[in-house]
Amino acid sequence: MIPHLEINDRTVLSAVGTAILFCVAASAMAAPPDHKEQHFAVKGRPTVVLQNIVDGRIEVKCSKNQEVVVVSTSSPEKVAIDLEQVGDRIDISATGLLNSAQPHEVEADFILTVPEETELQLKTQTGLIYVEQVNGDMQLESVAGDVNLKEVSGYIIVKTTGGSLKCTQCAGKLDFASIGGSAQVLQSSLMRINLMTTTGNLLYDGEFVRTGIYTMKSTKGSVEVRFSPTDSLDVDARSSTGTVDNQAADFLRPDAHGPHHSRSRGNSFFGTVGQGLAKVELSSYSGTIRILKRP
Amino acid sequence: MQCKDFAAVLEQEGLDPLPLAARSHLAGCSACQNLFADFSVMVSSARKLPAEVDPPERLWVSLRAQMAAEGLIKPSAPAPAEEAAWWQGLSTLFRPRVLVSAGLGLALAVAAFLTIHKTSTYVASNSSAPQVGHVPPPAEPATTPPSAPTAVAPAPVPQVTAHVKSRSNPAAAPSRNFKPAPTADLYEGTPAGLQDPPNVVGTSVEAYASLRENLRVINEVIAECQKHLKKHPNDALAREYLASAYQQKAQLVAAILDSGRSEQ
Repeated sequence: MIPHLEINDRTVLSAVGTAILFCVAASAMAAPPDHKEQHFAVKGRPTVVLQNIVDGRIEVKCSKNQEVVVVSTSSPEKVAIDLEQVGDRIDISATGLLNSAQPHEVEADFILTVPEETELQLKTQTGLIYVEQVNGDMQLESVAGDVNLKEVSGYIIVKTTGGSLKCTQCAGKLDFASIGGSAQVLQSSLMRINLMTTTGNLLYDGEFVRTGIYTMKSTKGSVEVRFSPTDSLDVDARSSTGTVDNQAADFLRPDAHGPHHSRSRGNSFFGTVGQGLAKVELSSYSGTIRILKRP
Repeated sequence: MQCKDFAAVLEQEGLDPLPLAARSHLAGCSACQNLFADFSVMVSSARKLPAEVDPPERLWVSLRAQMAAEGLIKPSAPAPAEEAAWWQGLSTLFRPRVLVSAGLGLALAVAAFLTIHKTSTYVASNSSAPQVGHVPPPAEPATTPPSAPTAVAPAPVPQVTAHVKSRSNPAAAPSRNFKPAPTADLYEGTPAGLQDPPNVVGTSVEAYASLRENLRVINEVIAECQKHLKKHPNDALAREYLASAYQQKAQLVAAILDSGRSEQ
């Protein structure tokens, strides 16, 4: 019995060893990802249009140089990447070359380095879109990927299906539309925001610019705003079947200059901070609206 | 003077000069002071605004491109200005003639159609009648397939007969050959036709799954809003969300159709 067991152990060991060797050899023989870098000299304020039809991440950073640098990493022989420069416009597209039934099988990641003043139109399927320190109008679209913006300004349009947005230290105007995605706007100074989602949660924790208009709507998710006592805003909060949780009642006085004097019920509220110069409209169908004072 | 009187004065006479009664009321009423301050800010801000702000050109360009991409409009081919002017003059000159010609052409076409229709119906219904050119009709034109060889009849007669047959006999119309679009069920609720995404170059598997999942969510929201509105038909906010959900659903369906996975 014992020698028989020893033979079995050796057989198993050798089989495992062979399998490991095979795996190592196969991974060593696998083709490395395609890595390309291209430079495009630009004169004025460039526009970069990137259509990533496959999965992949897009990262945009700024530099002092008047050039657009495109670094792409893609699945070998599975993705076609086309780049074209027309004046100050750079067109980039990535398309899949084969049928894919597996996630992440056909991918293309991009790192763009652009001048600080650049307009962007970026589209991807599931990867993250990350933009940092770029000034200019931008339209960012993603199906399931998140969008992360840091220190950007301009008219920013973000559309996702399931991806979420995080916008930190942004300025200008912001439009966000999603179905399943959430949005967080932090430490920002935006003149106008329009955040709309179906099941995601919305949070605005930034400055309320005088004469600014801030609209936040979530069908089923929560809507939360945080203000400081020195802000000047009118808050109009309405929910159909949800609730309005006003945790800053001491700082919000009833409206004194509009037709909303008596409207303050469980799922509806109107209040003013300061002179009420900014207009804040919060709405939900069944979610909770939360109004908080910043500590 | 009451607050509402003060508001009325502001509305009718503007900010300055305020009447004495309004000024005395303003001095002692904090609510009206706030109102007055708001109006002052609004008026001063309005004065700073330019008289008319045109939207940027790129807005129209992108709007036009988007509508063209969605097939709502077709890009028109620009014509040279000189040619247009020449043609415009000519068309003005000949417009009545063109209309008359078009009318005559249409009348001729209708007459020709009616003649052919009548003749072929006659051929189909009365096989024993003499035919144009003294060609005897086929033995059973109504049942003879178009490709069936006939002894004496030339090819055109059975073709016309077959054409009339298919038009005049609704039962013979191949309606069962027309299947509903593979994505028609998208508009109804569960996208049954999209349950198993095939391998197609287009939207990735994950993205497609996300689209489908969000379509399911939107359908749930629509059902929930509809249910709520049946109980509370005057809930304007719920109605607003229902309309928004329908809009999102339309966009989502368009995205799924564009993904290239739904047509398999």
